[in-house]
Amino acid sequence: MSTFKEHKTIADRAASDRSRHRHKIEKAIKESIKDVVSEESIIGQSGKKKIRIPVRGIKEHSFVYGSNENNKKVGSAQGKEVSKGQRIGHKRKQQQGQEGKPGDKPGEEKYEIEMSLEELAEYLFADLNLPELEKKRFKFLTEEKMKRKGKRPYGIRPRLSKKETIKQKIRRKKAAIKAGVYNPDEDERFPFHESDLRYKHIAPVQKDNTTAVIFFVMDVSGSMTKSKKFLARSFFFLLYQFLNHRYSSVDVVFISHTTEAQEVDEERFFTRATGGGTMASSGLQKVKDIIEKRYHPNNWNIYTFYCGDGENWPSDNDESIELFEYLKEINQMVCYTEIGPEKDLSRDSLSFFSTFAGDGLWEKVFRLVGKNFKKVRLSTHDDIWKSFKKLFGGRRDG
Amino acid sequence: MADWSMKDLQEWDEKICKLGEELGLDWYPIDYEICDYKEMIGHMAYTGMPTHYRHWSFGKSFDRIQTEYNLGMQGLPYEMIINSDPSIAYLMTENPMSTHLLTMSHCVGHSDFFKNNRMFSETDAPNVIDRFKSAGKRIKKYMEDPNIGIDKVEKILDACHAIRYQVSRTPGIKRKSHSDLKEYYRELLSNDKTGKYANFDLEKIPLEKDYNLLGFIKDYNRFLEDWEKDVIHIVEQNSLYFIPQAKTKIMNEGWAVLIHEKIMKELDLPTEYRLGFIRLHNQVIRPHLGRVNPYHLGYKIFRHIEDKYGFDACKIARESHNDETFIKKYLDEDLCNELNLFSFAFNRRDGYHRITDVSGGEGWRTIRDDLIKNIGLNSAPVVYVKELQKDGTLVLEHEHDGRDLDLAEANRVFSFINQLWSAGVKFTTIIEDEIWEF
Repeated sequence: MSTFKEHKTIADRAASDRSRHRHKIEKAIKESIKDVVSEESIIGQSGKKKIRIPVRGIKEHSFVYGSNENNKKVGSAQGKEVSKGQRIGHKRKQQQGQEGKPGDKPGEEKYEIEMSLEELAEYLFADLNLPELEKKRFKFLTEEKMKRKGKRPYGIRPRLSKKETIKQKIRRKKAAIKAGVYNPDEDERFPFHESDLRYKHIAPVQKDNTTAVIFFVMDVSGSMTKSKKFLARSFFFLLYQFLNHRYSSVDVVFISHTTEAQEVDEERFFTRATGGGTMASSGLQKVKDIIEKRYHPNNWNIYTFYCGDGENWPSDNDESIELFEYLKEINQMVCYTEIGPEKDLSRDSLSFFSTFAGDGLWEKVFRLVGKNFKKVRLSTHDDIWKSFKKLFGGRRDG
Repeated sequence: MADWSMKDLQEWDEKICKLGEELGLDWYPIDYEICDYKEMIGHMAYTGMPTHYRHWSFGKSFDRIQTEYNLGMQGLPYEMIINSDPSIAYLMTENPMSTHLLTMSHCVGHSDFFKNNRMFSETDAPNVIDRFKSAGKRIKKYMEDPNIGIDKVEKILDACHAIRYQVSRTPGIKRKSHSDLKEYYRELLSNDKTGKYANFDLEKIPLEKDYNLLGFIKDYNRFLEDWEKDVIHIVEQNSLYFIPQAKTKIMNEGWAVLIHEKIMKELDLPTEYRLGFIRLHNQVIRPHLGRVNPYHLGYKIFRHIEDKYGFDACKIARESHNDETFIKKYLDEDLCNELNLFSFAFNRRDGYHRITDVSGGEGWRTIRDDLIKNIGLNSAPVVYVKELQKDGTLVLEHEHDGRDLDLAEANRVFSFINQLWSAGVKFTTIIEDEIWEF
C-alpha cells in the first residue's frame, strides 16, 4: 500500500543555486565584454543596435570521447530506409585547431547574448565613475524621471507590449514544432498563453543634473596610421558611451586637429580621416577658446581627453605643455593618451623623431601627472579596457 | 481543474498494488508526493533527491529545464522515483488522472526493479535519504563556515564533479583497502609456482589499477584538510549510489513500461482514462529517430523475451542482468532489424556524421557492440590510477578502447585533478595511435 501526501512548498530550494549560477554567468559576461569592447564591429554603432556577445557557458567538465571515426553511436530508424555511408545531420564546422593536430577545440558551451549598446554599457560601467566630479554651484538639481526599462511578464493592461507578446508566442510555437508537440499542418490553433504576455516596464530613474562638459581632442594627422586611429577611436567611443550612459547632462565637444584644430560633430569625429602635420597645441588652444566662450569653469565640470601618437612637432611641445598646464588648473581632469608602443630609448631608429626621444610629449607631460592629470598609453587593444578601468575605477562620487 | 482527488488516487492505488502482487512483483512501499510543476522541476534538477547538497550546477539545470518547459520543448516527466525504501515518487498536480494511473503502475515496476536487480544490492536503500540529508547538511556547514566559505567548497565540488564518473563500475563489489590487497598479494606471491609474479613489487601504490580516482585521492592526498576529504567522500558516495541506475537505465525503464502496460491492461479503465493512457503510453515508447529511446529499446527486449520464453524469464532477467549483459544476450538480429538500428560516426574529413553500419545482414553484431559501448557509463572514458610515485606524482592512465578522448575537455579535467592533487599529476592517453601525455 502506498501513501500519498500533498507537498507544501516551504521555499524554492533551487533559489540559491540558481542565483549562484547566474552570478557566474554575469561574471562570464563581464569577462567576455572586455574582449568585445575592442572589437571593430561595435565601434561607431548607435545605442540601439544589438550586439551579439559570445559568452563562455559555465560548463561542467568531464572526460568524454571526441568526435571521430572510432567513436560510433547508434540510432534507430524504425520505418525509414537507411544505407551505409549515408550522411546524417548537418555539416559541423571543422573545429578550429592547428592543421594536422588532433586537438579538438574546447567543447565549450557558448551562449550568445544579444544586448544593445546601452545594456552593454550597464554591465561595463557599473563600477566606474567620473573622478573628482564637484558639485558646482549652479544648475545642480536632482531629478526623478520615469524611464522605460525593459519588458516584464506582468504589468497593467495599458502597458501590454503587443509586439513583444507576439514574439514570445512565436518563439514558443517554433519550439513546440521542433519538439514535435505541435503540428502546424494540422488545423489546430496555437493560442496565446499567459506566459507569453509582456508588458512595458517603467521605473523611476534618479538623475543628478550635474553639469559637465567633456572635450575629446584627437590628432588626425598623417602620422596617425589607420590602426592608431582605430585605437584612439575605440577609446573615445568607449569613453563617449560611458559618459552618455552615466550622466544625463553631459556636453561633449569633439575637436580634431592636425596643425590646426576644428570643432566637429560626433560622426565626423569618429569617421573622418585627414593627413598632415601635428601641432597638439592647436587642439588644446581650441579647447581653451571654447571653455572661455561657452563653459565657465565655475559652473561646469570640465574634462579634457587628448589622444595622439606623441609625434608632435618638437617646436610645438613647449606650447602644448603650457596649455596642458593651464587646462589642468581649470579642469576636473585632463587625460593625455598616447597611441603606440613605448619608445625604446636605447635603440636608435631611423625615425626623425627618435632623435628627440626623451623629449616627446609623453616624457614632457610627466611633471604634470597628478591627481587630475593622467596619462595613458594604448599599444594594443587589450590596453583599452585596462586603462579605462584605471581612469575611472576609482572611488564613487558625484 | 483536476479530474481527480486524493481519494481517487488511494482507491486506484489499491487496485494497482493488487495487480502488482498478482504479477509476483516485490517492491518497496511507495510514498507519493503531490507537487506542482515548479517543485517537479526542482526535483528533476536535483536528480530526484529531496535532500541533495547544494551546487550551482543544479541551479543551472533548474533554469534550463524551466526554460525548456516554458518554451514547450520539454514536457515534464510523468514519473520520477527514487531508489530508497520506501521509494519516493512524485505526482504532478497539473497532470490528469490517466497520467497518474500510468505513473503509479510504472513506479511499481521501478521500485520492484530497485529491490530485485542485483546491481542495487549495495545501495542501502533504507538509509539513502538520510545519507543524502546528512551530506547536504555537512556541505552547507562547510559553506557557512567563515574559515572555509562557499567559494572554497565550490572549488572542490567543481573538481570532484569533473571526475565523478571515475569510480568503480562494478556495483556490489567492495573496494579493497590497501592492506587487504597487500595481504592478498603476499599470499599469492608465497604460493606462486609459475613465476608469474616474480617481478611483482609489493611496495608499490596502488597494488592494482585503482579505478576510483576520488577514493584514491581522498585516501592518499596528505595535504587535504578533513573537510575537503569529506566533500570528496560525499561526491564519491553520490556517484557510487547512482552507478547502478546508470548501468540499468534501459532495463529499468523497459521493465517499468512492461509492468505498467500489464497492470493497465488489467485495470479495467473507464474510457476517459483509457484514451489518455494510450496516448501517453505511445508517446513514451515511440522510437526516437536517429537516437535510441531507452524506454522503447528496453520494452522491446523484454517483450521479445516474454514472447520467446515467458514472463518468468523476464523476471529472472530483471534480477540478474545489467544493460550490457542484457543487450548482449537478448538483442538479436530480428530485433535489430525490427528497430532498424544503425551505427554512425563523425567523419573528420568532410565534417558530416555518416552511417557506418545498418541492420539487415551481418552489420547487426557490430551495431550491437557499438550500442553497448554507448550505454550508461560506457560512454564515459575509463581512467585509473596507475602509480603513486615516490616523489608524490600521481600517474593516471586512460584505458583506451579505440576511442580517443576529446582533448580540450581532457585538458580541463586534468587541471581539475591538479587542483585535487597538488603534488603533480601525470596523465597519459592515446590520440591517433600515439601516446599523449598531459
